[in-house]
Amino acid sequence: MRPFQYLRPADERAALAAASVEGAALLGGGTCLVDLMKLDVMAPASVVDVTALPYGAVEDTPGGGVRIGALVRNSDLAYHAAIRERYPLLSEALLAGASPQLRNMATVGGNLMQRTRCSYFRDAGVGACNKRHPSSGCAALEGHHRMHAVLGTSLSCIAVHPSDMCVAMTALDAVIHVRGPSGERDIPIVDFHRLPGDRPDLETELGRGEIITHVTLPASPFAAHSRYVKVRDRASYAFALASAAVGLELAGDTIRSARVALGGVGTKPWRSREAEGALVGRAADVTNYRAAAQAALAGAVSRPGNAFKVTLAQRTLVRALELASGRST
Amino acid sequence: MPKAQPLVVGSPAPCIDIGGRAGSVLSLPPRGARPTVLVFLDEAPPDGRAGRPHLDAIRAELRGLGAMLVVASARGLWTFRPDDEIEVFASPPDVDGRDLERAQHAYGIAPLHEGGGALFVIDEAATIRFAHEFREAEGRALPLLAGALSIAGEALATRPAPSRASFSRREVVVGALVAGLTLAFLDACARRPPPPAPAAPGPGPFSTTVGEADVTFIVNGAPRTVRVDPRVTLLDALRERLGLTGSKKGCDMGQCGACTVLVDGRRINSCLTLAVAVAGATIVTIEGLAQGDTLHPLQTAFVELDAQQCGYCTPGQILSGVALLREGHARTDAEVREQMSGNICRCGAYPHIVAAIQRARKAV
Repeated sequence: MRPFQYLRPADERAALAAASVEGAALLGGGTCLVDLMKLDVMAPASVVDVTALPYGAVEDTPGGGVRIGALVRNSDLAYHAAIRERYPLLSEALLAGASPQLRNMATVGGNLMQRTRCSYFRDAGVGACNKRHPSSGCAALEGHHRMHAVLGTSLSCIAVHPSDMCVAMTALDAVIHVRGPSGERDIPIVDFHRLPGDRPDLETELGRGEIITHVTLPASPFAAHSRYVKVRDRASYAFALASAAVGLELAGDTIRSARVALGGVGTKPWRSREAEGALVGRAADVTNYRAAAQAALAGAVSRPGNAFKVTLAQRTLVRALELASGRST
Repeated sequence: MPKAQPLVVGSPAPCIDIGGRAGSVLSLPPRGARPTVLVFLDEAPPDGRAGRPHLDAIRAELRGLGAMLVVASARGLWTFRPDDEIEVFASPPDVDGRDLERAQHAYGIAPLHEGGGALFVIDEAATIRFAHEFREAEGRALPLLAGALSIAGEALATRPAPSRASFSRREVVVGALVAGLTLAFLDACARRPPPPAPAAPGPGPFSTTVGEADVTFIVNGAPRTVRVDPRVTLLDALRERLGLTGSKKGCDMGQCGACTVLVDGRRINSCLTLAVAVAGATIVTIEGLAQGDTLHPLQTAFVELDAQQCGYCTPGQILSGVALLREGHARTDAEVREQMSGNICRCGAYPHIVAAIQRARKAV
């Protein structure tokens, strides 16, 4: 690990000043940052430990939504009574990620900033990685890319976004609230993560010196019919090959509104408005679920090693819709 | 004149000429290929007596940093180059007050006679890299400045020779300056009024670690202090500094669970936890579970049910299991397996591990 300066600001003002210094990286739980620093993939000049900031609460908002502090640990959020009751989708997604130890450490803000598990990105000995070294190429295109993305890719990068939490938050219309040198702003989660394009090193909309303070979720009509389904190589404690977060609002047998987001297959948490469009106003049955899954993956671009993900993601989505609606074959 | 918008980091530094004695002109910031610390404050240049210690300290630090210091004040304009004596460019009444006011306005700061001041770090490309306005430092700005530069100097000294192309020496100098100044000023602000002495070991109002630092935490019931670089993980601090080798280093990247310990009662991976980040915490390792010769019920169950083969993952399995019992989320075997998924056993002792946890759960 490269030497760095460790700072633990006591208040927001001090944290903002420390965060704006060039080469600063924010430390929450450390599960991603410390790992990548050990691998020499990240080498910040200063590490700003933000855990003393007052971002640790989960509170109801006046409109029936919830406000989640950026420092709430994944395990605390997953088991929070309000989340389990009103946003079970989020609770399921959090508990499908990582291990109990890592969930005890990982924060909401850190999870939003989680970086890819692409093995070429994580191996500092590999020369070609546009995410680590812009314009150096992408070793995954012709290499081992079984775990890589089929949606939102570019010829510069096919690295998959690893988070489960973000997939559920995408289906739940989360808004990310940040504070920085020029004040506060709100970023809908669908706009927070960037597509790789020709600059896969630019991963989020978070600017230099900005700190995520909290996330809000609007009141959700999907609590009764939602589900997170994650398919992975082993039963637990593995990253997704494909996952689906779905929320349905049913009127009898008809789907009144729907939210669909996919994980494990996209370069960012993947909201599928195509699938939602194929569901709304239709009957809640498997035929329509299959059509929605087709629509969700219609734009997929696969490579030899990950072509299976197109079918797998479709089946994962159909299964999630079946479980959410209670209607299966 | 209305107060302008304060300048933000990344903006170009305005270049203002200030007229001095006999038609001479001082440019703010001075033109030249060297990082500059530009300070606006309401203080006169230090004279040969009271200000001397601070002055010596400041000069020593500037020499180490290779930066120059320019102080603009209605009571005098003075510069410090690292290798030279203090140069008083102008004293009252020679300072052109209108020029000074213009400079303050360009940098977006309040009039100085209201107390306080402002500090900017400007790099060689005339870009502002750090901006800080201080309000209450009246009368103690010089010691503050000396302290800040000292921290910056220390940061520079403890940083290894830059070997990567991405860090030029200039960037290191500017980076160290900025880091040091940020800390010292914020530290000074955070300490006003002085906080009461902490009752328990823990991070201060604004903690910083440059190079090695003493970190104190409670390990298995006793306060322990280790001197560590901020890079040292909790796992390495426990094993290498405190001799507590029960916690194991398996993968060292949060994927196996052999390093699991309890921090403030919660199970975590100590290999991904910086020791400095858990200063003041209460830590329990496998060495701290038994009460004298009486084993923890889960330890007893592991022995009775032969829940290990090679034993390498066992301390982590047991700490994880102890936390699982407290958390109360697992009742069925399937739930126990899921809640123990963060602890890998390459011998495959899983069936007996699950059985041991179930026995202890029913016994507790």
